[in-house]
Amino acid sequence: MRVLMVGLDNAGKTTIVKRLNGEDITTISPTLGFNIKTMSFKGYKLNIWDIGGQKTLRPYWRNYYEKTDALIWVVDSADLARLEDCRAELHNLLREERLFGATLLIFANKQDIASALPVAELEKALNIGSITKRHCRVVACSAVDGSGLLEGFDFVVHDISSRIYLFS
Amino acid sequence: MAQITPEVVLSYTKPASGYLCPLNANTFGIEFLKFEIKEYDTNTVVYQVAREPDSEPLPEVLDPEIEDMIRSVKYTFPASFLKFKTVRTLLEFCVGPQPVSNLRMIERHFFKDKLVRTYDFEFGFCIPNSTNSWEAIYDVPEYPAGVINDYVTSPWAHKSDSFYFVDNKLIMHNKAEYQYVQD
Ligand SMILES: Nc1nc2c(ncn2[C@@H]2O[C@H](COP(=O)(O)OP(=O)(O)O)[C@@H](O)[C@H]2O)c(=O)[nH]1
Ligand SMILES: [Mg+2]
Repeated sequence: MRVLMVGLDNAGKTTIVKRLNGEDITTISPTLGFNIKTMSFKGYKLNIWDIGGQKTLRPYWRNYYEKTDALIWVVDSADLARLEDCRAELHNLLREERLFGATLLIFANKQDIASALPVAELEKALNIGSITKRHCRVVACSAVDGSGLLEGFDFVVHDISSRIYLFS
Repeated sequence: MAQITPEVVLSYTKPASGYLCPLNANTFGIEFLKFEIKEYDTNTVVYQVAREPDSEPLPEVLDPEIEDMIRSVKYTFPASFLKFKTVRTLLEFCVGPQPVSNLRMIERHFFKDKLVRTYDFEFGFCIPNSTNSWEAIYDVPEYPAGVINDYVTSPWAHKSDSFYFVDNKLIMHNKAEYQYVQD
């Protein structure tokens, strides 16, 4: 299963993947390209492509859409100043034809921070209601305390596998 | 020389003789910065090598012995490595100012000139001037005791060829040999 993980820089993408594997999350440097992680999760083989989210790297995201089974969009729920930027980039991505069939998981990350927007408000700010015609779920999480990560990845592998089952 | 494609190297039944492309076939400035092997369950480092990117390009003409030093590695692993259940490998590399359209790695492992394992991984596109990593966590099949003993008593009989292709064109070829010592 090919999982594409994108979002603005500093959202916590790399930390989430490391945390999922119980790795040290104290020494993560900004991603200047991709970090691919090949791992198994609940018996499924995942190839997670975590792509750098800095403005200069975003035009290259489109090179990674092919064959993507799931898209994980990671949001820094406490970065209120860049929510609008985040909303625009997300909806740009969802217009991409090659990603139409992909499962969509939105991680509302950094929920451990007191000022983080709760999921309901985040959904409004990101206009999640306008996303129809695809399997989509928003999951509150924190890469620091680990909450929500399993729920999110569970949704991803179950949704992909049910689709694969349906069409095979 | 016939064109070396992924299909060609996947058909090899023993280690390649010599290197199938010159060092300067790597026109993309791909450089390996870090390679690490760990036992997953205990997080024990089995092998680790890291380096800074080259500050200067290599000279055009290289002494074959020096070239061999650059392109081949000899690994000495503890025999317990063959008993690990789960292994984690990490490869970090950077690419030059040109975009790399489709990078693919094929690694072929032979023991006593018999194919024992193939790794085939498609990285796909690499962003210009990027630093990238690939971490793989995988379960190792359990070896029977006799096989482990065979590896331990046959130093350097385990060999591998690593081939890197961009758009199915061979741009790098490195070799490795392995020995396992009783720990
Ligand atoms: N408080 C808090 N900080 C986080 C969380 N996730 C990531 N961070 C921090 O946010 C920064 C950026 O994380 P990183 O994983 O590099 O973001 P990326 O650019 O999306 O890959 C780092 O300093 C992380 O420690 C979280 O859930 N809570
Ligand atoms: Mg990152």
